Amino acid sequence: MVTARKEGYRTGLVNMTAGQISREIFVNDEIYQQELERLFARVWLFVGHESQIPKPGDYFVSGMGEESVLLCRDRANKVHVFLNSCRHRGMKVCRYDEGNTPVFTCPYHGWSYGTDGKLVGVPYFREAYHQQLDKSQWGLIEVPQLCLYKGTVWASWDPAAPPFLEYLGDFVRYLDLTLDGWDGSEGGTEILGGIQKWRIPCNWKFPAENFCGDSYHNISHRSVDLVGIGPSGSGRRDMQERQMARRLQVSFYERGHQTGVYLFPKDQPVPPSYQHSPIVSEYFAHCEAERQRKRGEWGRLIGSPGEIFPNTALHPRQPRTIAVWHPRGTHQTEVWRWYLVDSAAPPEVKDFLRDYYIRYSGPAGMTEQDDMENWNYAHAASRGTIARRHPYSYEQGMGFETENYEWQGLRIPGTVMDITEAKSSEHNLRNLYRRWAEFMEAGSWDELATWRMARAAE
Amino acid sequence: MSEPINIRLLGPGTRVVLEDGAVAEIVSNPLDGVWVFARYLTSPGDPGRVGSEEMIFAQDIVEIGEAG
Repeated sequence: MVTARKEGYRTGLVNMTAGQISREIFVNDEIYQQELERLFARVWLFVGHESQIPKPGDYFVSGMGEESVLLCRDRANKVHVFLNSCRHRGMKVCRYDEGNTPVFTCPYHGWSYGTDGKLVGVPYFREAYHQQLDKSQWGLIEVPQLCLYKGTVWASWDPAAPPFLEYLGDFVRYLDLTLDGWDGSEGGTEILGGIQKWRIPCNWKFPAENFCGDSYHNISHRSVDLVGIGPSGSGRRDMQERQMARRLQVSFYERGHQTGVYLFPKDQPVPPSYQHSPIVSEYFAHCEAERQRKRGEWGRLIGSPGEIFPNTALHPRQPRTIAVWHPRGTHQTEVWRWYLVDSAAPPEVKDFLRDYYIRYSGPAGMTEQDDMENWNYAHAASRGTIARRHPYSYEQGMGFETENYEWQGLRIPGTVMDITEAKSSEHNLRNLYRRWAEFMEAGSWDELATWRMARAAE
Repeated sequence: MSEPINIRLLGPGTRVVLEDGAVAEIVSNPLDGVWVFARYLTSPGDPGRVGSEEMIFAQDIVEIGEAG
């Protein structure tokens, strides 16, 4: 069996010169264990949305890597993220999905913590501990870095990681395509309904690479397109933009983030959408005009699936969601999906979108079922002794990337692959694994934050 | 040993007798079955606690007292 350390990630398992990646990185238990330490304990991870915890005492139980965490708002209105594990013997201090509470109490021995994480209740503190336990040293373990950005909550376990906005770099503009109101208003979105959670028998990187911008798998969704679940009564989405926009894949080499986008021609209105409902169609037509007015040239851009490294997927338009691929062992992924809508949208619009989103995504969503079937069987078929000897091909479009891409006066941040004519590329997928390999090799953020070196050299 | 008391049923204003003989009045109940927030009314062993508000552990509550 290939071991990670002997082969080296970049040259052995992730070969970007040849455009090949070993199946080992998907099925090898040793590599998976190293991922938890080298990736998930160092990166920024999506934890939830502030609208899930609007009042003091509100909490939402989320996850970072394999571990359960508490996202909560304390009595002073401050947002925290804590490891959901008692400091005494490790039992979960909260076993609900969400709620409101003055304290988190461990059911094992009864240690109790305030919503600010402080240890406030210790049974037999006077009698058994003789009041000598220093409670101030035994609060819940809190993430060293937390960032609230346009309603979303992000956290990192690594105190040395760059601040979240530096971690994103210019990619923040693409994240905004998911988080801003459709009319271009700053951060005008909220979570619609509850969170969908389900498990898939595959490594977490299968869905992660799919959402980087794998446009090649479109054939998988042919049956859904034939059924016509889209919001205008055909296809699975409104696809008219493909007729007139440039279709781009955008990668950030130093960060590992990537996305697809549609770039509309100058002074070209966005085609009508959501035509199954006059109210919804009118709402989006109004918003599109507003967005172009407020955002100017940048308003020509419409988002497409993307990924914030390593496991937060963005689906900015139809349906508009954030998904997290939680690792649950080498061979299992737990998907959590948040659905977003404009806060200011009329109730009819939110109801229409709820129906459409559920029809498309999630464990029962018709499009997502196609994907899950592929990931499930691709993973299973890659575990065998013979299968593991043969790498996957990621060669599509190698060498056709463009720096400083510009079209009709709009310069696009990132390294761009224009796939309007090519139809597809694995440019963004390669970027995910390039960055993955760097994380697996690097000893510290000094090696990973390469943009800082460039800045220092200047 | 007295019968265990289901403290989840005890609302604010309820008086409880503690193992050390103190009496406290419940201020709020987080309903976790382990703790209640209560104010000491009497505390023979430690008079300084009277008037203070503390978290009271379920196993320290031995009796439900009479209403004030």
